[in-house]
Amino acid sequence: MLEKNYLWRIYWRLAGVIMVCVVLALAVVSYFSHRVFDRELVPEVEQKAATVANSVRQLLLKATGYGVPFDKLYGVEQTFGEVFEENPEFSYAAVTDLDGNLLYARGKEPGGVREFFRRPAIIAQGLDPAATWQPTHTGQQYFVSMPIASDKPLGMLHIGIDGKFVDNILLEVMLDVVVVLVVSLFFTLELLNFMAGARLASGLGEFAQQVERMRSGDFTATARIRANDEIGRLLRRIDAAIDHLNVRYEFLVGELEDKLRTATGDRREKLRPASAVLEGIRSRLRFGSAPKETEGDEMNLNRIRAPLFAFILAEEMTRSYLPTYVNQLLVPLWGISPQVVIGLPIMLFMLIVALGQPYLGSWSERVGRRRAMLIGASIATVGFAATALAINLYDLLLWRSLCALGYAMVFVAAQGYVLDRTGQDNRAQGFALFIGAIMVATVCGPSIGGILADNIGFRLSFAISAVMALISLLAIARLPKVEVRTTTSQRPSRGPRMREILALLVNKRFMTLTGLAAMPAKMILTGVCFYLVPLYIVSIGNTSAMAGRMLMVYAVMMVLIVPLSASLSDSSMRRDRYVSVGLIISGLSGLLLLISDSFLVLFGVVFLLGLGQALSIAAQSALVADHCQEEIRIYGHDAVYGVYRLLERMGNALGPLIASVLVIFWGYQGAFIAISGMVLICGIAFTIATRGHEWTPQPAT
Amino acid sequence: MGTIRVRFILVALVVSFFAVGMAAFLNYFKYKSTIGNIVKSRVLVVGRGIENSIQASLQLGMQFSELSQLPQMMQREKASDRLVRGIDVFDYSGQVIYSTDRARVGQKVATSWTLAAERSKTTEWTTEATDEYVAGISLRNAFDLTVGFLALRYSRDEVELAAAKAGREILLAAIGSFLAIAIVAPLALIIVIRRFERDLRALEAAATHLEDRADVTVSSSSAFDTAIGHLRSSLRDANKSLDDMRAKLDSAG
Repeated sequence: MLEKNYLWRIYWRLAGVIMVCVVLALAVVSYFSHRVFDRELVPEVEQKAATVANSVRQLLLKATGYGVPFDKLYGVEQTFGEVFEENPEFSYAAVTDLDGNLLYARGKEPGGVREFFRRPAIIAQGLDPAATWQPTHTGQQYFVSMPIASDKPLGMLHIGIDGKFVDNILLEVMLDVVVVLVVSLFFTLELLNFMAGARLASGLGEFAQQVERMRSGDFTATARIRANDEIGRLLRRIDAAIDHLNVRYEFLVGELEDKLRTATGDRREKLRPASAVLEGIRSRLRFGSAPKETEGDEMNLNRIRAPLFAFILAEEMTRSYLPTYVNQLLVPLWGISPQVVIGLPIMLFMLIVALGQPYLGSWSERVGRRRAMLIGASIATVGFAATALAINLYDLLLWRSLCALGYAMVFVAAQGYVLDRTGQDNRAQGFALFIGAIMVATVCGPSIGGILADNIGFRLSFAISAVMALISLLAIARLPKVEVRTTTSQRPSRGPRMREILALLVNKRFMTLTGLAAMPAKMILTGVCFYLVPLYIVSIGNTSAMAGRMLMVYAVMMVLIVPLSASLSDSSMRRDRYVSVGLIISGLSGLLLLISDSFLVLFGVVFLLGLGQALSIAAQSALVADHCQEEIRIYGHDAVYGVYRLLERMGNALGPLIASVLVIFWGYQGAFIAISGMVLICGIAFTIATRGHEWTPQPAT
Repeated sequence: MGTIRVRFILVALVVSFFAVGMAAFLNYFKYKSTIGNIVKSRVLVVGRGIENSIQASLQLGMQFSELSQLPQMMQREKASDRLVRGIDVFDYSGQVIYSTDRARVGQKVATSWTLAAERSKTTEWTTEATDEYVAGISLRNAFDLTVGFLALRYSRDEVELAAAKAGREILLAAIGSFLAIAIVAPLALIIVIRRFERDLRALEAAATHLEDRADVTVSSSSAFDTAIGHLRSSLRDANKSLDDMRAKLDSAG
């Protein structure tokens, strides 16, 4: 049969070709942009250098006006130093006398500059009382030269502009272009799946199923409408062959029955071998119409991915700049520190999602998954649009609550959609599709959101999120209207009851895993990634785009490591060790800031945090089934997992609160260190608490 | 052209459009912000001169509202750079105390000016008016207390026109790159998916002969060979069983 990764090999090859084309196109755009920057910016910087030079000249003339000889001025180099500090594109400044001899200078002296000062044209300019300023390009430097004259010519002032300043400006753009490349790669794979792959995969899957059915002797006909593409045509041909067989079979059966009806005695005896053959055929082969439930729903399952991706992307795009936006709309709340207030919208969002999810599951079951998603995406669209227009913190909280409610509705309904269309045999595959869409959105969203926020502002970026949510709404509207329930998903889901929550809250085994592993992991995630990183990066003079890049590092780590760690922890069956190691690595991440507060160290913090979370995240939820078998027996699987998820999400809500309180006492660095230290302690406590236990591994849930 | 190939090409075009569009967008906004910053800092250089003069006067014990030489100096500085449209000095309440435009003295500046000045973490601040940009400096006395604000109004045109010009060129480069991709990518994709299309063609070809009775062995060395083999043998077996039944029926007469 078809090789499992056949399609993915094709996707990667296609993605490779598309990426090569994209890189070439980006190189062309960058080259032309560089030319434009070079041509247009240099005269502007020269103009600025002239203004600065004029200001310095005034100072020099003031000093000579007090009678200080021109060649005995004090503090000229210091003044140049101040000029460089305020204008990093200036790399050299000098004052020369009327013969071009150097009197004062600051900065790295460019080669051949002294010859330049002595050029007759430059000396003549210094002697000309009507001369203003003159731009010159020598070697790697641009020079702006200005005569210094009071009642008589004194000398020349030269400001050197670093020839590479345009390169330095474009280097910042290059970082964003690299982000665009990474995002493009993920978009490519997502689009390949959405525009071609979903249909292709389901078509090939159906073909494979059809072959299997026919091998097992099932020639029942399906009345499906086939797509008008290569696979569709192929399936139509197979359908036709099956139809012909069925017609032939019906005809033969009809003929035999007719003959049997009219036959008597010897003639009936002669028909016996044909009847025997028919019996044999009936025992081995099946003809007629295929029952409806055997028709697979892979195509419809795949169709959830695009709307989910677009919707989650809308929210993820806001991650890198939301705290900074809140900071802009801040209003003083009596008795609450501004740091805590900045974290409030994130906390509220997480809290609504945490509390809403258990109950929205059964609601979406009642109203229908598609309808629930439509309602959720509509609410979120309004929320994003209103957030873009927010007046102050108060209404922002309301709009973010709408976003949270919509998010929870869409998330739960999409999860239900997958559950409804999968059985035990393909549930893992269904959830891989679901999680895949979310992971890709978390890679692309924060980085693109940061870039947008930096360039078009926070409000327009939120408006773009609203557009994305609207696009997801349109994609959701294209989902099948008919609700499907597989036999395994027919049991109605319910939220955990208070009695179960209370009982599990005081259960040592359950709380060891939830309180020492799941909750701290979520706290450090939201506390560090959603609150501290965006704010800290902006506080040290960086941009939201940089915060987005940082969050992208985290998401890329998750995408790369989670599948690997999930399979390794499943195969080794020592999930507790993966959780321990993951927590300890997460806990060590923030402690890196004890070494230095440099930008590279912060990169290391996010990298380690991503690594730690990726190692522990898959093993954690699977460990519930290993760790709490007794509790599952008593309260049921749904209740234990329901409470586990609820507490885990409460950790999400607590993260920004804890981080903000820590910032009040110890500043950003202190907060990073303290929150990591807390997770490290939890990790060590979890390791000690689970040491020596022999768990009975259960299948991952 | 096969529909699958068309879809793959569409993916390539959509992704390229996104990437090239984003690159053009980034370059344009980088240019706009860079030129905006250059122009702003140039204007602020003019402002620093006035700030130094005000601070020197304050250090001599003069009152902020009694700087008689300031208007002339402001006029001089305004004239030194054609970009500057006007210079205002206003107090905490937003009331203009000195201005190069006499009609503005005594009037209130827009609230956004005072808000921008208050929110700024440094002494420099910026804001935008309908047709001009404003770059400002918070004026502090010897005790580091803010006594007022200096605002330099300058034309948006300098930045807007330069950005529009650069934007046009970047857009043209982006359109050119995209068109080049639109030609190259389909060709490259066709080469890459040749094998896949061959597999599909083999599958389609085999499917057209599914019902052939002759025991045709078509080996295309495609990824679907085994599946096609199974398909054929299943159909052949079923047909054989039905043939058998036909024969028995015929022999029964």
